[in-house]
Amino acid sequence: MTTENGNNAPNYTITCRMNHEAAALERLCQVVRIRGFRIAKMAVETTDGVLDIALTVQGTRPVTMLQSQLEKLHTVAEVLLTTPVLAPAASRTA
Amino acid sequence: MNGAQHILETFHRHNIQTVFGYPGGCIMPLYDALVDDVNVEHVLCRHEQGCALAADGYARASGKLGVCIATSGPGATNLITGVANAHRDSTPMLVITGQVPSSLIGTDAFQETDVLGMTLGIVKHSYLVESADELPVILDEAIELAQSGRPGPVWIDIPKDVLLAETAVAPIGRSRLREAVCPDLASAIAMLRTARKPLLYSGGGISLAHAEESFRYFAESSGLPAVVTLKGIGNPGKHSAHNLGMLGMHGSRAANRAVDECDLLLVIGARLDDRATGKLEGFAPNARLIHIDADAAEMNKLLNAKLAIRGDLNAILKELTLTFREAPLEISEWRRQCQTWRTTGGFQAADNEEPLAPITGPAFIRQLSRIAPDDTTIACDVGQHQMWIAQHYQFDHPRHHLTSGGLGTMGFGLPAAIGAQFARPDSTVLNVTGDGSFMMNAQEMATIRRYNLPVKLIIMDNQCLGMVRQQQELFYNNRESQINLDDNPDFVAMARAFDIPALKIERTDQVRRGIETILAYHGPMLLHVAIARDENVWPIVKPGGSNKEMIDETRRNTADKKEKVA
Repeated sequence: MTTENGNNAPNYTITCRMNHEAAALERLCQVVRIRGFRIAKMAVETTDGVLDIALTVQGTRPVTMLQSQLEKLHTVAEVLLTTPVLAPAASRTA
Repeated sequence: MNGAQHILETFHRHNIQTVFGYPGGCIMPLYDALVDDVNVEHVLCRHEQGCALAADGYARASGKLGVCIATSGPGATNLITGVANAHRDSTPMLVITGQVPSSLIGTDAFQETDVLGMTLGIVKHSYLVESADELPVILDEAIELAQSGRPGPVWIDIPKDVLLAETAVAPIGRSRLREAVCPDLASAIAMLRTARKPLLYSGGGISLAHAEESFRYFAESSGLPAVVTLKGIGNPGKHSAHNLGMLGMHGSRAANRAVDECDLLLVIGARLDDRATGKLEGFAPNARLIHIDADAAEMNKLLNAKLAIRGDLNAILKELTLTFREAPLEISEWRRQCQTWRTTGGFQAADNEEPLAPITGPAFIRQLSRIAPDDTTIACDVGQHQMWIAQHYQFDHPRHHLTSGGLGTMGFGLPAAIGAQFARPDSTVLNVTGDGSFMMNAQEMATIRRYNLPVKLIIMDNQCLGMVRQQQELFYNNRESQINLDDNPDFVAMARAFDIPALKIERTDQVRRGIETILAYHGPMLLHVAIARDENVWPIVKPGGSNKEMIDETRRNTADKKEKVA
């Protein structure tokens, strides 16, 4: 897959459910950026104090690492990776 | 009861007796409530960074929650380095800041900053309290969250009107925390049983989980040769026969060699930080990895583990201990090999024999380690002295060694020592620092004096930023850049200006007396130790290099010095 910048970083689709608290979206977006991904597409719906977020992110790092970091956020209830991941997670297996 | 009084009521309920803070405009309602409170001891530091780092030192030394308080704007921004420090080392901390009144948020009001936004990346969680009715629940949740699982700082930003608003809402003890996964250890035990060269690798997670005792029992019952990270120093105790010391960039040759040779690496309560592993491609090349930690996000982050187990380290270590006590591991040949490396590849340093010779860092620390009482807590700063402490001081408990591991915060040591002395009022607490680090929070000498804390300050002064100088020498063709500090103030006069007695030593024959003098003194005291400028920390691995490529000129230096003395 190719990004609009011509990068060859793969795209991943993630759905995320989190509490609608102050800075909830900023917190999510910051984790995506710090862990080495960029947001290509984002859709948000709010229902009864809960945010449902559909994200398409691009990055060359293992996406399972991003998933586990998002799951760690206290306000995040669920993170689902809807793109199948074939490669092993980290850089080396020991 | 108003919001501010609710905060103090929450402190009482959670047995929080000591907090570190600095007042100001928007946090004034809390300080007003403190006037009528007799249960909470508020420690006034002289800079908000000092408050945050003192709270961090208090938490590390005691195993309890550290609490710091500041006002909005500059008060909050001054806390940031201390909170980032706590975040990187997973210190349980509650941070409370005042914010401009709700109606003024977003108007660029006096002392308004978007604290919530600017601190998202350095907290475990944070809240902007929108009404007084939310406050009791948020406070309880924050205190629980900061200390549960992998601990960390939790920040509550509270607008002034919320602090003043009356509320009758009581905390309901609601917990949204997730249940810890109960792990199955059968596979881990089977892997340990079949390994010929298993090695135990432990870090700061042991004391964060309050698992020091369980770890000690496990290490003894398994008889596994062991290495420690910077924050794991003290885990095995000073008398452990199997401890090969710290691994990594400034680790012992024995520890790095054992990691290189082992066929199974059991990592417990550590995150495989780059300063410990060096270049990952060359790290533990023959080993299968078992990674046990409280934080699932650390699993497979940098290295894929053959087996990753998330859970409570205390429970896991207890179960492992039972197993290996019943049927010990048969690895005597490997143990013998590690013992040989331990004998020949431990940290080397010559004790100075020539009385008039300049004092060297490692020799000074070894002498300090021999003289100081067993339960001494040392808060160090960042740089060469920090590594000499890690290498040459014999710690019997991880909570005796307070060091800024993840963030590497110069200026950590003095406020951390203040916090540690509040946590352990009857123990000896030392701040061992460098001349660079000392000047980053030297104002906290006023806090030591105000509370008459018997903290001892030891400045190892080489008149330069020694660790930067060392790396410039070794990796930048000896092009020294902005490291010279030969215009340092007179540290003895400076301490005396704070009404803290001080003395200076500069020769080897003065070391013992200097250390004994400050340790015997009943109050705070400063020892200014002039040390050789060009001493390096050995061994060293080039940043980004493999741990196999250690540079170690200890022996050459020692030989050179002997020649010079002769």
